[in-house]
Amino acid sequence: MKIKITQWVYTLGLIILGFGGPVQTALAHGEKALEPFIRMRTIQWYDVAWSKQQFKVNEEVAVSGRFHVAEDWPVSVPKPEAAFLNVSTPGPVLIRTERWLNGKPWVNSVALQPGGDYEFKIVLKGRLPGRYHIHPFFNLKDAGQVMGPGAWLDISGNAGDFSNGVKTLNGEIVDMESVGLLNGIGWHLFWGALATGWLLWWVRRPLFISRYRMLQAGMEEVLITPTDRLIAKAVLVAVPVIVLAVNAVAVNRYPNAIPLQASLDRILPLPALVNAGQVDAEAIKAEYSVAKRAMVFTVRIDNRSDKPVRIGEFNTANVGFINPELPAVSSQAPATAAVLKLDDDTPVRPGETRTVTVTAQDASWEAEKLDGLINDADSRVGGLLFLYASEGGERYISSVSAAVIPKF
Amino acid sequence: MSLPVTTQSIKPYTGEKARLVRAYDYLILVLALFLFIGSFHLHFALTVGDWDFWVDWKDRQWWPLVTPLMGITFPAAVQAVLWDKFRLPLGATLCVTALLIGTWITRIFAYHYWNFFPVNMVLPATMLPGALVLDAMLMLSNSLTITAIAGGSAFALLFYPSNWPIFALFHQPVEYANAQLTLADLFGFQYIRTGMPEYLRIIERGTLRTYGQYAAPLAAFCSALLCTLMYALWWYIGKWFATTRYLSKI
Repeated sequence: MKIKITQWVYTLGLIILGFGGPVQTALAHGEKALEPFIRMRTIQWYDVAWSKQQFKVNEEVAVSGRFHVAEDWPVSVPKPEAAFLNVSTPGPVLIRTERWLNGKPWVNSVALQPGGDYEFKIVLKGRLPGRYHIHPFFNLKDAGQVMGPGAWLDISGNAGDFSNGVKTLNGEIVDMESVGLLNGIGWHLFWGALATGWLLWWVRRPLFISRYRMLQAGMEEVLITPTDRLIAKAVLVAVPVIVLAVNAVAVNRYPNAIPLQASLDRILPLPALVNAGQVDAEAIKAEYSVAKRAMVFTVRIDNRSDKPVRIGEFNTANVGFINPELPAVSSQAPATAAVLKLDDDTPVRPGETRTVTVTAQDASWEAEKLDGLINDADSRVGGLLFLYASEGGERYISSVSAAVIPKF
Repeated sequence: MSLPVTTQSIKPYTGEKARLVRAYDYLILVLALFLFIGSFHLHFALTVGDWDFWVDWKDRQWWPLVTPLMGITFPAAVQAVLWDKFRLPLGATLCVTALLIGTWITRIFAYHYWNFFPVNMVLPATMLPGALVLDAMLMLSNSLTITAIAGGSAFALLFYPSNWPIFALFHQPVEYANAQLTLADLFGFQYIRTGMPEYLRIIERGTLRTYGQYAAPLAAFCSALLCTLMYALWWYIGKWFATTRYLSKI
């Protein structure tokens, strides 16, 4: 018996030591878990940038960028009638102080329009020191989370220095970190003390076996004494009176209290930035080579601008495929940038319509779990194709999509 | 509701027997406390959930409707056992106290230390005033019917006013992003919850707003009606699932 107990103690000790050992931080946010066709054909992020990536507690950092709501929105995904631009953080290590969409501040969810172009900015304030991998992302009602590109943020300083003062409409400045805390604890202690008193009043005397026997013997009047009844009557009267009295005090103290706010913001899209009309690109066919991990698009480009244009990048689900002949271009600084090959990279002249074969080949299709597309119920690929004018540097963006044919 | 009893006089235990009986009491009490901390807390987290977790979910309409309705369940079941078999009028208070112990442990260790939320953003609501009244009502009436109707109603009706002193200050208006928000709404916006977008909050939906702008009293009375039914249902659940067969052998 003694040996068994000792073994249990040793086992328990090992388990406890295990909890104290080095623990590797989880860095993923499930961004690869969502079906590829949702990641590629709903919210198409580009130009996402952070104002800085190293800052201190109480300092602000902004992430800004653009996104296009794909015209080829998957039929199996509910339309984005309620969408919330969020930030993936491991808890509130930063607080969100501002959020802007197309130049308008907003705090609620918003209805997005498929085909619409939007510009966003989120201002965050450092709260807890550490190194965190952060993404802007959209919560899409009934669809899931569509991640934007992630970045590492280093927050230095002391967590105790964090402050978050807010001025109410009554003119009072409150500290969000502590407002109402002592008051709440106080009321819980007050009612907790009364409840403890009531429990102790009964627990102090013999309980289960004794009372069961006495009740069975018909000695109910001994179990509930006149004093018990008096106290119960006092509770029955005093508790509601106290509740109503303190409620009245609270009502008088906060006469301007308002209900929680529940509304949907309405923000219209920007004038078209993607599929804007001057240079059109349309994917006619897409083949995915499983062995080569390459998506081969047949794209028809119609250049109605007055300058020759070249394809610079294809970007989907935060994976950028860059034309190495145009090295200076990139819609963002993607964590995974791969090479985009074209069968004819000569500029498409003004007025010319040309069909080009574009090959986006990289292990990212597999690493980012985008190749699962061929096994999806909706096996269509989508993304943004960036074209650049050879002179002047203008950028034309097309949201392209096509059904995918796997090549095994 | 009274048990069929035969009147006879029995002597209280003395000496070693009394000590053993008292030890048994404490054993059961400690076990019951942990059982209710775990089970009632789990039940509450799964049914009331976000309404109790977050300060910006505590609205006028659904919070005072859902919370007492789900909160009266375990108290009714435990009262059925403790009163019917032992004449102990503490089932409701015991359950709600256990719930609050579990809730506070979770809020501090899981929400604050583990997930970094400020404690004031996750302050729990209290149902202790309603529980005390429920226990007193059962003891004085010794009636399931009266306790279900009067006690169940009181449990629901006392909920909102007993919590308003805790949460009223979070309903102060602030101007933010060209809009009027409550401090509670601002918590939801500023302190990032990755998995909880704004549209998930269930606030003031539906048509429970028929009496002008007074949503809370209407919700409370609706809850009171439902609590009377819920109380009776869970009383019988408690009665069906409890047994004193081992005590009968002592």
